Amino acid sequence: MTENSIIVENLTYRYGELTAVDHINFEVGAGEIMGFLGPNGAGKTTTVKMLTGQLRPQEGKATLLGRDIVKETQAVRAEIGVCFEQTNLYEQMTALDNLTLFAELYGTKGFDGYALLKRVGLAGREKDKVSGYSKGMKQRLMVARSLVNKPKIIFLDEPTAGLDPVSSEAIGNIILEERDRGATIFLTTHDMWEADKLCHRVAFMDKGKIAALDTPHNLKLLYGKRALVAEIAAGTGLEKREISMDAPDTAHDIRELFKKEKVVTIHSEEATLEDIFIKVTGRRLIE
Amino acid sequence: MKTSVIKALLKKDFALFVSNRFYMLITIVGLVFYIGIYFILPAQMEEEFRLGMYAPVVPPAFNQLTENEGVDIEFFADEESLKQAVLDGDYVAGIALPPDIMQIWAEGGKPGITVYYPSTATAEISEVIVALVKELSYAQTGQAFKFETTEEILGPDMLGSQIALRDRMRPLLAVFILLVEIMTLASLIAVEIEQGTARALLITPLRISELFMAKGLLGVGLALGQSILFMALVGGFSQQPLIILATLIIGSIMAVGIGFLLASLTRDVTSVTGWGMLVLVLLTVPGFGTVIPGLISDWAKIIPSFYLTDTVSRVANYGAGWGDVGVNIIVLAVFSALVIWAGMISLRRRYQ
Repeated sequence: MTENSIIVENLTYRYGELTAVDHINFEVGAGEIMGFLGPNGAGKTTTVKMLTGQLRPQEGKATLLGRDIVKETQAVRAEIGVCFEQTNLYEQMTALDNLTLFAELYGTKGFDGYALLKRVGLAGREKDKVSGYSKGMKQRLMVARSLVNKPKIIFLDEPTAGLDPVSSEAIGNIILEERDRGATIFLTTHDMWEADKLCHRVAFMDKGKIAALDTPHNLKLLYGKRALVAEIAAGTGLEKREISMDAPDTAHDIRELFKKEKVVTIHSEEATLEDIFIKVTGRRLIE
Repeated sequence: MKTSVIKALLKKDFALFVSNRFYMLITIVGLVFYIGIYFILPAQMEEEFRLGMYAPVVPPAFNQLTENEGVDIEFFADEESLKQAVLDGDYVAGIALPPDIMQIWAEGGKPGITVYYPSTATAEISEVIVALVKELSYAQTGQAFKFETTEEILGPDMLGSQIALRDRMRPLLAVFILLVEIMTLASLIAVEIEQGTARALLITPLRISELFMAKGLLGVGLALGQSILFMALVGGFSQQPLIILATLIIGSIMAVGIGFLLASLTRDVTSVTGWGMLVLVLLTVPGFGTVIPGLISDWAKIIPSFYLTDTVSRVANYGAGWGDVGVNIIVLAVFSALVIWAGMISLRRRYQ
């Protein structure tokens, strides 16, 4: 992650009176997975639309791979892949034909649709019409479509929303494979667990602004409660004890606990990204 | 523009067209239906002989003729009503006698008799009318040529070149087949916008001009292919095939432009169908003027499809040349250029 793939400066977009994206600034390094988290209407999709040239920013600028998204839209589009939130495949065509069409539009040389479909777990269904696919299969095909041009930056807008765990995991694995290939990934999601697991850094977006941006680890350190929670045997049941990790006599308290009580379990209590989001914005991610 | 990109889009659009049962059904059934209509319609001309007459004073010999000879003559209260009835195609001819006909004959003069013909009248009809008037004159005065006739054609002058109904229907059917593709094209575009696939296309390095080119080629191909097939099967290229081909090409471009506009101004496939039917009916109206000359007034010339049907009709049925239909083709070409330009601008906004 030596250089930035995405640089955003004061990016702004308004729908009439409503400021959907309000002067946001951030950078995403090459090969980084950046999570963009926020509830519906926070401005995530509008940001993606501006970064992919679907909307023209009203203020500010953004460069992708060193190219201005407004002045060099076509060149930028050749280097990116986009997986939309809403399924928008040609349902009357086969999966293979869908991918081949986009490979031809990108001018991808030596494109192997079978191999790509195998990667997303659709081997054997290549020549089936997409209309017969399940939601999870369609979503995996959407992800596959965003990869036909071997993009340097991949935008994934809620790629696992409403999917079964198997499909979600399959998509998660593809994201990690693409990161390993060196692609930069811009992931918008509601799923805290997914973001925590996959992303190098996450940005919390609320009411068009970035409320916090850091690695999940740093956010947890910054906003989480540093404490140990121990479960001790108490008669026939269990009792919880909490020991602050930042108190001056933490070491003493732990020793005393083990000396005096029968400790059944002990673990550190970490805040989840959801907890931190609520702390930072005062709102829940899914309302 | 990259030809590989346009080729890929065309391949995709054609695959979607073929895989859509509704499009295929209306295309094949429509084509078979229109070809069937052509061959079902009579190849011969009608020979019914009904005359209209305006005669402020009816010479006694005329009354005898209608009573004894069984000639079907309808009398009109004024000359304008007679002309309108002839123009509407209700009579093979209309005869207007001067109010002082008896006085002129009595003074040994030659009264002027005006004969009105519809544009579909044959040369034979003209001869029959003159013979009839001659007979009336003889019956009344004892002399065959005691009159002078003025012949006036109402509507376009096609005297002597009357054609069968099915051939008069031919331009209307060809143009209708062509115009139906407005709805097919608009529906294909509307579905892409509605389902978000257009958005997926436009996120690639594809240029919007390439998208328009592919859609335009598909629309022209479908409209032109079918209208050419129809015209070829019904013998529509027997006269001046180049002019007809050029006219159909320009007409297909016009259909594409209207298809773009329709797709950009409607919300979904349902509204495309609703508004499309309205547009189709409006654009078909001038075509009825080729079936029944005189049926459509001059106002129909403001409908651009008039220049399409009129040109095909005049060339295919009356052998008109470049010089005869040049103005029509220029008007059609200018309108087609304007409508495709407006369609692209409007559709570009819709895509964005």
